[in-house]
Amino acid sequence: MIARLRYWLLAMLALPALGAPAAQAIDIGEVVTPLGIRAWLVEDRSTPVVALSFSFAGGTTADPDGRRGITALTARLLTDGAGSFAEQAFKRRLEDAATSVSFGASFDRVSGSARFLSANRDEAFDLLRLAMTQPRLEAESLRRERARVVAALNQAEQRPASVAARTMMATMFAGHPYGGDPDGVRADLEAVQPEDLKRRAQAMLGRTGLIVSAVGDIDAAELARQLDRAFGPLPAGGLRPPPPDWTPPPRGRTMVVERGVPQSVVAMALPGVPRDDPDWYPAFMMNHVLGGGGMQSRLFTEVREKRGLAYGVSSSLRNYRKAALFVTTTASANERVSEAIRTIRGEFARLREGGITPAELADARTFLTGSLALSLESSSSIASLLHSMQIDGLPPDHLRRRAELIAAVRAEDVQRAARRILRDEALLTVVVGRPQGVATGD
Amino acid sequence: MVAPRPAETFTLANGLQVAVLPSRRAPLVAQYLVYRVGGADDTPGLSGIAHFLEHMMFKGTPQVAAGEFSRTVARHGGRDNAFTSFDATGYHQTIASDRLELVMRMEADRMANLRIVEKEVTTEREVVLEERRTRVDNVPAAILQEQVREALYGRGRPYGVPLSGLPDEIRRTNVPELEAFYRRNYAPNNAVLVIAGDTTADAVRKLADRYYGPIPPRRVEPRRRPAEPGSGLPQRLTHADPRVAEPRWARDWIAPSRRAGETRHADALTVLGTLLGGGETSRLWSALVLDKRLALATSAGYSALPLGLSSFGVDVQPAPRVAIADVETAVDAELKRLLDGGVTASELERAQNRLLAQAIFAQDSFSSGPRIYGSALAGGTSIAEIEGWPTRIAAVTPAQVLDAARHVFRADRSVISLLQPAGVGR
Repeated sequence: MIARLRYWLLAMLALPALGAPAAQAIDIGEVVTPLGIRAWLVEDRSTPVVALSFSFAGGTTADPDGRRGITALTARLLTDGAGSFAEQAFKRRLEDAATSVSFGASFDRVSGSARFLSANRDEAFDLLRLAMTQPRLEAESLRRERARVVAALNQAEQRPASVAARTMMATMFAGHPYGGDPDGVRADLEAVQPEDLKRRAQAMLGRTGLIVSAVGDIDAAELARQLDRAFGPLPAGGLRPPPPDWTPPPRGRTMVVERGVPQSVVAMALPGVPRDDPDWYPAFMMNHVLGGGGMQSRLFTEVREKRGLAYGVSSSLRNYRKAALFVTTTASANERVSEAIRTIRGEFARLREGGITPAELADARTFLTGSLALSLESSSSIASLLHSMQIDGLPPDHLRRRAELIAAVRAEDVQRAARRILRDEALLTVVVGRPQGVATGD
Repeated sequence: MVAPRPAETFTLANGLQVAVLPSRRAPLVAQYLVYRVGGADDTPGLSGIAHFLEHMMFKGTPQVAAGEFSRTVARHGGRDNAFTSFDATGYHQTIASDRLELVMRMEADRMANLRIVEKEVTTEREVVLEERRTRVDNVPAAILQEQVREALYGRGRPYGVPLSGLPDEIRRTNVPELEAFYRRNYAPNNAVLVIAGDTTADAVRKLADRYYGPIPPRRVEPRRRPAEPGSGLPQRLTHADPRVAEPRWARDWIAPSRRAGETRHADALTVLGTLLGGGETSRLWSALVLDKRLALATSAGYSALPLGLSSFGVDVQPAPRVAIADVETAVDAELKRLLDGGVTASELERAQNRLLAQAIFAQDSFSSGPRIYGSALAGGTSIAEIEGWPTRIAAVTPAQVLDAARHVFRADRSVISLLQPAGVGR
């Protein structure tokens, strides 16, 4: 096995660049397997690589009471030995097949990804099947992985950016499952037993609600055959009830978390716009102009370029199944952070009151249309782009329609989105550090 | 280094080296212009000036106003950024392939016509200081890492000085110094241009001739790199910080690179790094994480790319309630086992396969190729050396790995460092 792989690797590396045709817009095919598993496929023969991105319905918000963190922990442990292979033997088989497989969990979904050389696809899909259907979930692996998660939780409590993010989420989602850390809490993790893991693995991996995207050196018939081999043995599984609806906090506030660091880290949150809301595209454009676009956004220009108040400042729309946020982050020296926050709030007001210029609208349009191609960085990144479209419930031809949806947004739509989102009274500002001139309060 | 696909290469009359990596996978091109100057070339007493100048490169020319470079790239649906390492400073854009001419025109413009003005320097200095706070002062591991480099390479010497600069020296860096640094180092004969994506060598040659071709070469001083390690080795450093919750133990040895020291060991050290610390089947992981339960994670790192001496590092995240001395003893025992018993043919082969597979996965990534070629060429590696990498890695023998390990793992050329929690004062 090892020697054969060597021969093949060297042969592939000696080939000159393959002249695959330029994919002007990526061509997404739909595959339905004999067992009824549905997948999206972008066939691309330019490198001998296949990438998979897939997920199951139900995520960390389905953690049982007293076992918070178990979904993410179980997901991480799926590749620590499976079937007749103990941990080290399983890792070795993955390595000998030049295959990487990993699992993780977010609030709403348990997700997996795999990447392998197309010549090793039989072995890769076998290992994937074993990880999902016969994970060993042994006490020793549990002991070690739990220690890693607890260590990461401990360290996150000291890292200013993590403290800011965690405080922001806990406050925006107080009383809702999204307010908890997906990685769980120490006391619950300490109580987890191997049987808990086994129960969790069975409950969280089922074919109902399964979403799969594949990209690379594989055709539809072969993908269908392999998907049935890997995912076919999973139980049909039922969709777990979604997390409860979320009601945003009625009022914003400012919270200071004291930490002995020279630079204060800031996270600002506002309720956002759902993905299927008519204001989604206006909000998308608003975010780009304000702080989403990198080195030409208003926040970058005002906070960094003109005032030198920060190295990084940006905003983003974050969407969950039952909630949406608009988040702005930055970091600035303790003595100047209040000016950075004032400047950001000033930009919120300017956008709310003055809207955007025709030039900004035109620039945002060309960037957001043209930049889609930038996410076609590798087979894995294309697979995760497809997968996120599937999660958002978009059709496979969305990439063709997207440009029209962006072009249809007018300046007044963007201002309407700004008035809806950038509300001063709803703004949560979390500052971690020793900020001067900033205090906890309403 | 991981070799990507073969490049087509040529050199312009003014000395600009060009490599083209055609790929028709997506209608995109990437331009990487990498200068053969980095943090290790900082003006003495003005640490961070190479990095500071990288920031100023976005502040305009008579043709392109401050900030307009990035705005223009974005307006055409592209993205741009830049990086500074110890040996190189690179500027790159990724954009629709029919916009290559646009980004080439602007990149060539700022190679020759950068305008550095007081007002912009004053504001950007604050940004550079904030970047240092974000990357170093707020990150205990990064503070310790600066101390480790200073011990390995020597205080005030190339590679021993912080890349982002010392705050006092950043504050002293002014317009005339930045201008002088720019004039000394930014020239076509001191740069490498790599274009990857949906284009051809012929098309690139035509555009490069038009935009970079007219820029005259300059006389460039030879680069100085340490041929000897720092004078105070071995050293043991501890950084205790209330912001550290979990300890980390590391040991770094001075090591040859492909360009400096006993360069014949470079490929064997690359393989050794993977065999010893690459992933969860490596020797250190098996011994410290699985068998002895002393660690939660282990890794090893080595790069053959530096222009001067490199380093070989081993990093351990100790398990809870484990004595650091036991971690150190266990790492020593693994190194002794390696030095006494050598490596087996099959573990060597696994490590080599792992590296070769990484090379194939690098071919699957749009940005890997130009990044690897740009950095390697700017650090003095030749095209033949980059492209011969898979063959050389596959040819490394157990005896060469042992030889390289004996050369590197010498107590008198290492720094042991410990990052640990301190006090409770928040």
